[in-house]
Amino acid sequence: MAGLAILKRIYLAVYNWVVFAGWLQVLYWAVQTLRTSGYEAVYAAVERPLQFAQTAAILEIFHGMFGLVRSPVSATLPQIGSRIYVTWAILWSFPETRTSPIVSSLVLSWSITELIRYSFFGMREAFGITPSFLQWLRYSTFYILYPTGISSEVGLILTALPYVKVSEKYCLRMPNRLNIAFDNYFATLFTLASYIPGSPYMYTYMIGQRAKALAKAKKSA
Amino acid sequence: MLVTVTSRSGKEVVKGGIQLSENATVKDLKASIHKRTGKLYPERQRLSLPLVSGQTRPTVLDGDKRLCDVFPEGSDHIVILKDLGPQVKYSTLFFFEYVGPLFIYPMFYFLPLYKFVGLPEKRVIHPVQTYATIYWCFHYFKRIMETFFVHKFSHATSPLSFVFRNCCYYWSFAVFIAYFVNHPYYTPVGETQMYIGFGLGIICQLANFYCHIILKNLRDPKGQGGYQIPRGFLFNYITCANYTTEIYQWLGFNIATQTVAGYSFLVVAAYIMSDWALGKHRRLKKLYDGKEGRVKYPNRFVILPPFL
Repeated sequence: MAGLAILKRIYLAVYNWVVFAGWLQVLYWAVQTLRTSGYEAVYAAVERPLQFAQTAAILEIFHGMFGLVRSPVSATLPQIGSRIYVTWAILWSFPETRTSPIVSSLVLSWSITELIRYSFFGMREAFGITPSFLQWLRYSTFYILYPTGISSEVGLILTALPYVKVSEKYCLRMPNRLNIAFDNYFATLFTLASYIPGSPYMYTYMIGQRAKALAKAKKSA
Repeated sequence: MLVTVTSRSGKEVVKGGIQLSENATVKDLKASIHKRTGKLYPERQRLSLPLVSGQTRPTVLDGDKRLCDVFPEGSDHIVILKDLGPQVKYSTLFFFEYVGPLFIYPMFYFLPLYKFVGLPEKRVIHPVQTYATIYWCFHYFKRIMETFFVHKFSHATSPLSFVFRNCCYYWSFAVFIAYFVNHPYYTPVGETQMYIGFGLGIICQLANFYCHIILKNLRDPKGQGGYQIPRGFLFNYITCANYTTEIYQWLGFNIATQTVAGYSFLVVAAYIMSDWALGKHRRLKKLYDGKEGRVKYPNRFVILPPFL
């Protein structure tokens, strides 16, 4: 019914613009800190808005699952999964990684990509317009930002590896009554390995999305 | 009659169509298509009629029907052919699914594999670990024997891709469970609990075997399709009693061995089987709706009383 559709639209509009505001803060503080203090201080400056904006994205899995948006769960899950992993299981869990210059490239890649994405969807939901410039940005900047973002993610995970091994953080050892064990070092290696099929999959998915979006734009032109 | 064979996009698959006698069946058509195309053996073909306006799912053509009965009055004799991809027999699929666990699990029991992950080679073997290996291997041996000597399969084939997908599922869980049950630091449960677990498991495996015998006898020896209402033993109360006994059999194994790995396998397997059971239950209720002289499907649990 019409009421539900309007409610959905308001919710999505609010969601997209609120998270947009979060990423705006991330970009602002990242750039400010780089100009004044240097790359070692970037994480400390962006931590809160970064954690907020990135964690909020978990909702997008449910948006896809419940049909609020058209994106398939198969594309949103790996994307959000890797982001949450790096944000919480690497940066937050292993403070030794926070002073790396890779944090800057990560945060810049993520925030620029997300600002474009959330403003694009925010415009569409709140105002019903899809400015062609924004659409072009959304379906073109990923060519650069996906590789820089993914390399930064992998780079940070590699940076964390020795600390993961030595600290034994999150490890579950046997013997125990449930006869289960978890080795974080192996799990981290496995996660790194998953980037090998995962990255081409996401990259080609975006290329496919670009082709579809441009074809649609051409048809309605 | 002349039958035109096109792909779903409308392109002609067999140039010039196929000439068949008036009494020809869909089966004959598939055989002719196979002859003309070479690689498309009948099991790989899905033939359907062109979609009529308003139809979302196509009418798939059944092998034994005569062609003259299948085409609507005065229509062009067009069939749409979908290539289902390379096919394997169900027995082949099941064999590969089950042979993996049969050999993988004992490897963890007999071979010193744990040293490769830095764990001590020497270990004390608890009785439950020995019984678990025997139980597990017997279970998968039983499944293979049933595949070749008990089960009567309906659809002749399954897509080849299912072999890879299903083997991933079975073989990965086999590694996961075998690794933890045979682990050097494995903690066994008390003796009573072990006996209860294996006892339940053995009873349910026997019950499961009997269920399979009942299902086999339901099938028409000529391999005719169509669902029969299962009767007797637990089927009087549960539509998919075979799945029920299978689930409880795994529960028994887990009560005896107590690992997160084993229990997670139980949960996933129960979920998958419940999905199948719901489908079968619905199909049977729809088929046996009690109208026009048909029997009405009795009120039964689907798979897991008292919940489902």
